Amino acid sequence: MSPALTPAPASAPRRLRHRRSVRRLTAGQLADFRQSIEAAQSIGDERGWQSIAGIHGLPLPVSCVHHRELFLPWHRAYLYMLEKALQERVPGVTLPWWDWTANHAEGIPEAYSRKRVDGRKNPLHDSPIQPSGRERSSQTRTTRAPGPPGQLPSAEELDDVLRNPDFFTFQTQLESIHDGVHVWTGGTMESIYTAAYDPIFWAHHCMIDRAWYLWQLRHPGATLPTSLLSRALAPFPLTVRDTLDITQLGYDYAASTAAAGGPARG
Amino acid sequence: MAERFMSDPIELPPASHPFERADLIFYGIDHFCQSYEARVFFDPRGVSHGADSTHRAFVGRFFIFGHNGCFGDAGHCKVPTERDPFDLRPPHQLEPALRILTVTDAVRGLLERELDAAKVTVTAHTAGKASDDVLVFDTVRLATYA
Repeated sequence: MSPALTPAPASAPRRLRHRRSVRRLTAGQLADFRQSIEAAQSIGDERGWQSIAGIHGLPLPVSCVHHRELFLPWHRAYLYMLEKALQERVPGVTLPWWDWTANHAEGIPEAYSRKRVDGRKNPLHDSPIQPSGRERSSQTRTTRAPGPPGQLPSAEELDDVLRNPDFFTFQTQLESIHDGVHVWTGGTMESIYTAAYDPIFWAHHCMIDRAWYLWQLRHPGATLPTSLLSRALAPFPLTVRDTLDITQLGYDYAASTAAAGGPARG
Repeated sequence: MAERFMSDPIELPPASHPFERADLIFYGIDHFCQSYEARVFFDPRGVSHGADSTHRAFVGRFFIFGHNGCFGDAGHCKVPTERDPFDLRPPHQLEPALRILTVTDAVRGLLERELDAAKVTVTAHTAGKASDDVLVFDTVRLATYA
């Protein structure tokens, strides 16, 4: 039988991984996530934190897509690339999301705001910035200057945006909310050039990606113009079409998850 | 650039033309600047630069995540005025942005007051403070959808 006629092997069901709210991670899930970030921050090549964070802004070229039609697909691909890199460090970890419409009194979630955890530096609190990623030479680490917690977006604001049946109107209004959270967080997050070095950037964008997913569920007939579907999301090896179904990227969104083992084989 | 932008009067839809939604669309927003919050008001009376969402004329806000400064060589941040239709590279990073603010209830409120036009006032704020060097856009348009 020629290879072309070989029947495709029955594919084993692929197990989706769940992204969860950072406020609902179990202690073990949070510890694994911290470990994966710490491990990525210790790698100096293209698998590491500095290289991946640098794709967004500095060092040039600025590859991120803002204020343009591919804002959501590009950032979905970007999250996917970091998540895969983290899973190479700690299998099974996923990016958590920061629901900035809830727990306003807390502001930055505690998982990201604590400087130290169990006597060690919290890798979610801040990160070094490589010399070529700095806007000025003194900017060696990420910083934040959060605004008043009451000024974070409300659930009603997000819901108004999710009601838009048209993708571009939805995306434009969601991007404005997104921009507002960057402004609110302040410091490194306020600049396109440096934002992705701050670990909270990824939790914020995970929330944005989740909002797009919720919009997709709410408007199942709505999609992007076909002219955009084959557009490349440079520098990632993905097109817009590749990003439309998150289950094909191996993840789903869950408020929280917990599991228990089944009976052992005899 | 403007500290407090005030538009010319924008015609409101006649009361005889009902609509389901009204949007203010800001075209050609420059984002080669510090990130900022823009607060939008109908009717400029009493809108100081410090006015916020509690002001009676406040209709909404939008945000711009800005490119603050250029890290390239000369010409790096110059947006080409013409684009070759065969140029398949991504567009320039600084192509102007667009923002859409849904203002349905506010427009209905103006019509109830039997107004036929309204000025749009916009103030800009960076890091929580009034800013006079970030707000630049080409046009603001009121669009209603039946």
